[in-house]
Amino acid sequence: MHREIRVSNYVLAALLALALALLSLPLAAPVRALKAGVVYLLNPVAYYGAKGAQRLADAPPGLARLLRADLDNRQLQAQLREAFWQKSELEALRTENRRLTLALGLTPPRGYLSLWADVMERDPLHWYNSIMISAGAQQGVTLNAPVFGDQDGTLIAVGRVIEVRRDSALVLLMTDEASSVAAYLSTSAVEGLVQGQGGSRLRMNYLPSEVVLSTGDLVYTSPTSATFPGEILLGRVMAINPRDPFLTFQSVELRPAADAAALSRVMVLRPSAALASPLSLGAAERR
Amino acid sequence: MNHLRGAVLFLAAALLQWWWSTRLSFDGLSPQILLVLTVAMAGRVGPNSGMCYGFLWGLFIDILRPELFGGNALALMLVGYGTGTLRRKIDVIDAVSQCLIVFFMTWGNFLLYGLLGAVFAKNFIWVGWPAFLCDPLYNCLIVPFAGLACAWLRVR
Repeated sequence: MHREIRVSNYVLAALLALALALLSLPLAAPVRALKAGVVYLLNPVAYYGAKGAQRLADAPPGLARLLRADLDNRQLQAQLREAFWQKSELEALRTENRRLTLALGLTPPRGYLSLWADVMERDPLHWYNSIMISAGAQQGVTLNAPVFGDQDGTLIAVGRVIEVRRDSALVLLMTDEASSVAAYLSTSAVEGLVQGQGGSRLRMNYLPSEVVLSTGDLVYTSPTSATFPGEILLGRVMAINPRDPFLTFQSVELRPAADAAALSRVMVLRPSAALASPLSLGAAERR
Repeated sequence: MNHLRGAVLFLAAALLQWWWSTRLSFDGLSPQILLVLTVAMAGRVGPNSGMCYGFLWGLFIDILRPELFGGNALALMLVGYGTGTLRRKIDVIDAVSQCLIVFFMTWGNFLLYGLLGAVFAKNFIWVGWPAFLCDPLYNCLIVPFAGLACAWLRVR
């Protein structure tokens, strides 16, 4: 215990002397050097303390900004979802508008009205033969009514109705082997008969042998066709078949304008109430 | 006593004192954390530690103040010595006695610092009546925390 008292007295004397020296010599060089040294050693405490305090002070506004950003983010996500819905709706309306514009542009034959229907079903085994549409007798669809499609705002021939049910109808496509329609070539204006091949191509037969044919020609329905109105696009000449010396006509291969895989909506011509009898079809165009 | 813990306690206490004085002072009043810690240190560890820590903490306060350089060092060193001396006579670890020591040491510290100002700066440095009356009570509130800090220092 005495030793501790003695040591504490020594420490007291030493520190007392040091403190008094610091107090009495405030401008002396050693004191200033000591003060500078102590300041150098202890200043970081205040410096980093200030920085830390500043960070703590900045935390609430930063947190508030973060929360605000989160709220904005949620709001924007909701708006984005809504925008996606609106875009989809807009696309649907645009398609509908185009279809209606197209329908307005077509003048159906006298006594006929146009009717749009969705493609409901395709038979995988008979892809190029027939499709089922969502309009039937209830909507006024009749047997052998011509069916059209839309390609870049132009009406194209798709086929004709061969079976009518209450709310649906079966359409025989142009590419079916049993389909045929009178048509003409756009360049030479000669007529022939376009027939389905059961595949992705059509064949145009009975073209006069003296006519010069070329690939790329467009083929339209003939005004003489009993099923289709005239001037409806059927397809384009893809290849010219070699001439058969035993035949008096020549034929060409066509790529149909109506792609069976791309059809989603079709237009059907239906007789108006004023029309007394159904369309009479030419023998060559009947199944 | 772990020297590393001692250094940590020294720096942490200095930082806390500075932070409280500049950020949390209410109407210019803030607790004298370093004085309370000096009392706790001298009471729990011994007069030598109390004097050394008090002297260094006093120097830290001195460099933050423009007046007497060495005044707070001398005052806090004497607080440590006084508490260490009382330690041989009474139980200074008890919370109540420590609060009493802190209470009166705060007044003693104010008066000693004022006298040192009168002697070395020709001007009695008066802290003002609000600080003179309220600071001792304020300091008593943090006595338990200072005791915990010193207990942490002595854990091996």
